[in-house]
Amino acid sequence: MPEASDRGAGNLRRNEPRPERPGPKGREREREHLDRVLEAMGERDVDLLLLGREGNARYVSGARRLWLGGTRAFAPGCAVVRETGAVHVLSVTDDGIPSDIPPERLYPISWNPMNLLHPVVGAPGVAGARRVGVDGITPLFEQLLTGMLPSAELVDGESLVRSVRRKKSVADVEAIRAAAAVADDAMVATIDALRPGVREIDLMGVFDERMTGHGVTTPAYDAVVSVAEEGAVGAWSTDRVIDDGDLVTISAGVLAHGWEASLARTWPYGEIGSADRASLQTWSEAWSELVDGCRVGARVGQLRSDGIDLHGVGASYEVLPDDDVLEPDMVVALELRRAGVLGGDTLLVTERGCEPLTHAPRAAVA
Amino acid sequence: MTTSPLGHGAGLDLARMRRDRGRKLVDAMLANGLDALVLLGQNNVGYATGARAPVADAARAGAQRTVAIITADDTRLLTSFPDGVPPELSDEQVLEPLALESDVGARALVDVLPSGRLGFDELTMPLWAALDGREALDAAVVLSAAKIVKTPDEIECIRRAQSINEEAMLDVEAMLAPGVPATALTGRFLRRVFELGATSNTVEPIFQVMPRRITDGPYSATGDVVFPTVTKHEAVADGDVIWVDTGIDYHGYKSDFGRTWVVGGQVDQRQRDQFRRWRAVVDRVLEIVKPGATAADLTRAAGEVDGRRPWLPHLYLAHGTGTDSAEMPLIGTDLGPDFDESIVLAPGMVAVLEPVIWEDGHAGYRSEEIVAVTDDGYTMLSNHHYRPYA
Repeated sequence: MPEASDRGAGNLRRNEPRPERPGPKGREREREHLDRVLEAMGERDVDLLLLGREGNARYVSGARRLWLGGTRAFAPGCAVVRETGAVHVLSVTDDGIPSDIPPERLYPISWNPMNLLHPVVGAPGVAGARRVGVDGITPLFEQLLTGMLPSAELVDGESLVRSVRRKKSVADVEAIRAAAAVADDAMVATIDALRPGVREIDLMGVFDERMTGHGVTTPAYDAVVSVAEEGAVGAWSTDRVIDDGDLVTISAGVLAHGWEASLARTWPYGEIGSADRASLQTWSEAWSELVDGCRVGARVGQLRSDGIDLHGVGASYEVLPDDDVLEPDMVVALELRRAGVLGGDTLLVTERGCEPLTHAPRAAVA
Repeated sequence: MTTSPLGHGAGLDLARMRRDRGRKLVDAMLANGLDALVLLGQNNVGYATGARAPVADAARAGAQRTVAIITADDTRLLTSFPDGVPPELSDEQVLEPLALESDVGARALVDVLPSGRLGFDELTMPLWAALDGREALDAAVVLSAAKIVKTPDEIECIRRAQSINEEAMLDVEAMLAPGVPATALTGRFLRRVFELGATSNTVEPIFQVMPRRITDGPYSATGDVVFPTVTKHEAVADGDVIWVDTGIDYHGYKSDFGRTWVVGGQVDQRQRDQFRRWRAVVDRVLEIVKPGATAADLTRAAGEVDGRRPWLPHLYLAHGTGTDSAEMPLIGTDLGPDFDESIVLAPGMVAVLEPVIWEDGHAGYRSEEIVAVTDDGYTMLSNHHYRPYA
């Protein structure tokens, strides 16, 4: 069993740099994002981009706002204006907002959707917008937007931002590596906590608690700890008590300062039988083959099959369509469930194959 | 020792809850002249069908989203989580998930939509395009009409969510001390709620160290107190005033816990007084909570404290909670006085009261209480102490 390294909160002092206020490196990264987005807006002839998805808003603005789990219906949480190149952010405060976004580009929360839209529609450079990109829509906002910008046509802003986010900069990969280090450490702590009488739901809490020791308060998803039953892995943790001889699957991820990394491991608790050892072996062989196939030029749809999950990773989960083709500088999360064993890593696609960004140890295969 | 929140309260019947909700939703749909609802929001799909999907960051939840198609006599559920399908749905009612961020997936969904007037809660852009001119009417009115009045089972879920949340806080309070990073409070809280049987955590827990005066804090667009902000990875210090706000999920229903703590536990007379004034606002409001009272009656009862309305201007005096953490009835928002006049309390409505007392220069007090409206008054759904203030 690996020993979890102690990289917890340690001696924190008040005047340490706040992770919520990104330093110059973070700002360069986000300015590059904005440049990329503005370029794509130019190519697609989009005058105004309204982003309701937090990952998109964070990518382009660097804003760190309160995290909410689950889907959110579209509301204009962030606006990018092509003419001025400015980013406007929905926020009552500059706390968590990069310092080069001035207060006049913040607009406060309102329960009245008209009040929410007024500052956006009234922002410099918006008046004559003909094509407005949105990353989702509701019937209400469709009606309000077409009413307030009568000459504008709504277009797909999600695919625009997705295309920009697809390939990572060096600084992006650095941020994902930092997230991966937190996810690794929390995974090791979770594996370390396997002991008699512990329940699946106890272990998910162990992952989260260790994660917060690194100053990260948001998981990428509720950790799934599940005892494999007849080759099937559960979709969520239950109050099942882990027994001697169980194979325990753990899938978990973090959203560290806005950047995602996830991984999955299967660890035996106590002595496992020969059938389970064979399962670990089967998984291990299938995994090597799968990772080997994740090469530049591979079609995403061809890598996917039953038991395989493959998607993009960056400033949150990213959709990868089946017809996409792997290219260098993409980062993907790959998960394989086979024979009741689950494993996965966050991987950087390079010319020389995939480089794992998550490194937590795997159970030894006999 | 408190008893496990899972052990108390007789008679939660989840199948009955789903049945009752389904009926409420179809009634509201028909009353609003819609023939079908097409729901993509996870809280709405859960409400309409009882389907469970894992809770995740919005991007992941959106990519893995379940979809519900509701008509007067049928329910269809698209899901990739067979474990989360409620038993009353037959195999024919459960469909394979579709990739709604792609044109192909969106068109496939449009192909299976019923005829008639369709209400949507939200759409992906490919879905919006695939409708090809077919009108997407607003399902929001239907959803809020159905959701605003809870059945006893729904109220029991909220009570249990709140009970888990409150019990977890006993552990968090016990570790509050100078030098502890605020994020460590988050960690203990998350760990404990899962141990106690929470279905999930749905909002980043807030442990905000309050400034003494507004101008000592971050920029404020409203000029008023800035709250909430993201919990900092910084040690708390003796005497810090901390505003706490958390919410967890139990079978789809959200708790809402708000308290004010003082690190070190030393509370002076002025602070006790802030608490007393907060309590007085709550008492004045509760005195009139009963069927027939309007939201405007509640805001009038809250009145003014030191020349200001005793709540945050960008938020509310009170809000509902249910499958969404802030849902109708919204009371005292910037939707304005006419809106508040139009909200009439009825049995089964739930209100989270969150008044704020602020004394610039001396910080302030904020806590939350949850009540459910009964036939002749209200019943408390929250039950937690006020230490170190009382």
